[in-house]
Amino acid sequence: MSGKNMEEKVEQATDRKNISLPMSRVRLIMKSSPDVSCINQDALFLTTKATELFVQHLALSSYKNGSGKETNTLSYSDLANAAEESETFQFLTDILPKKILAREYLKSLEEMEKVDDNL
Amino acid sequence: MDGDSSTTDASQLGITGEYMAGSHFVLAQAQDDEGDEGLNDHEDGDGSKDNLREQDIYLPIANVARIMKNAIPQTGKIAKDAKECVQECVSEFISFITSEASERCHQEKRKTINGEDILFAMSTLGFDMYVEPLKLYLQKFREAMKGEKGISTVTVTEGMGEELTDETFTNPLPAGIITADGQQQNVMVYTTSYQQIPGVQQLQFS
Repeated sequence: MSGKNMEEKVEQATDRKNISLPMSRVRLIMKSSPDVSCINQDALFLTTKATELFVQHLALSSYKNGSGKETNTLSYSDLANAAEESETFQFLTDILPKKILAREYLKSLEEMEKVDDNL
Repeated sequence: MDGDSSTTDASQLGITGEYMAGSHFVLAQAQDDEGDEGLNDHEDGDGSKDNLREQDIYLPIANVARIMKNAIPQTGKIAKDAKECVQECVSEFISFITSEASERCHQEKRKTINGEDILFAMSTLGFDMYVEPLKLYLQKFREAMKGEKGISTVTVTEGMGEELTDETFTNPLPAGIITADGQQQNVMVYTTSYQQIPGVQQLQFS
């Protein structure tokens, strides 16, 4: 996202709409963080707008980086890969675990139990 | 594979050996189940938040999906679980930024999180590429709000957040402004709840 591109995007967005996410819901989420008392209007707006930018950023990065080129579809694993490979999206790794085949998981469970038995 | 955020008890996952044999079942399904349970009563015992944990409040999936769709090339498609997943990531992002901003607030013995706190948090957390565009957006937002103040002395309070949804921006109001060199400009005035504003002639946009 170069500076010049962003200027154009800002122009476009304000001509149509200013924001496309409900600020009231954003406020709810913010308030559910511990120790948050008051949020001023600027902060609420900035968070909402930043969230939009974040969605665009995450979607586009994952799409570009992923298998979407062949399948033309943005998939869950594209997102999980982006979380793992990009420093910016690292904070998402806990909620975006890479999927493994269930049988592999059960196998590793069995192995863990064996270790426990041996202790 | 770290399984600390999902149950490791296979029977709770509702998986039997038969069900999984030869299938491409994915473990992360379990997370969706836990998410659903979280909306109801949960064992963390915090009754004061209406049984909703922070990770259970999401932004509407339609809005999120629309933004995603507009971000990727037009021919691209988005898998359903990807949309749901981004919905969760978004709540995570908001909490991430908010707690960082809140911490700074506390350190400086302030009670209200302001715009600077948010921008600072973004910078700290690796989102400094958003900061400049956000400042521009904030400027435009403030101008739009200021214009409204001039018309009806509406005070911008937290309650305003309730009214700023998609619908409010579908009927922008044209306002005629005579500038210093005598040219008339038409400027869109974004309002929240009313359609006709008589006598809007003297607005000054700095």
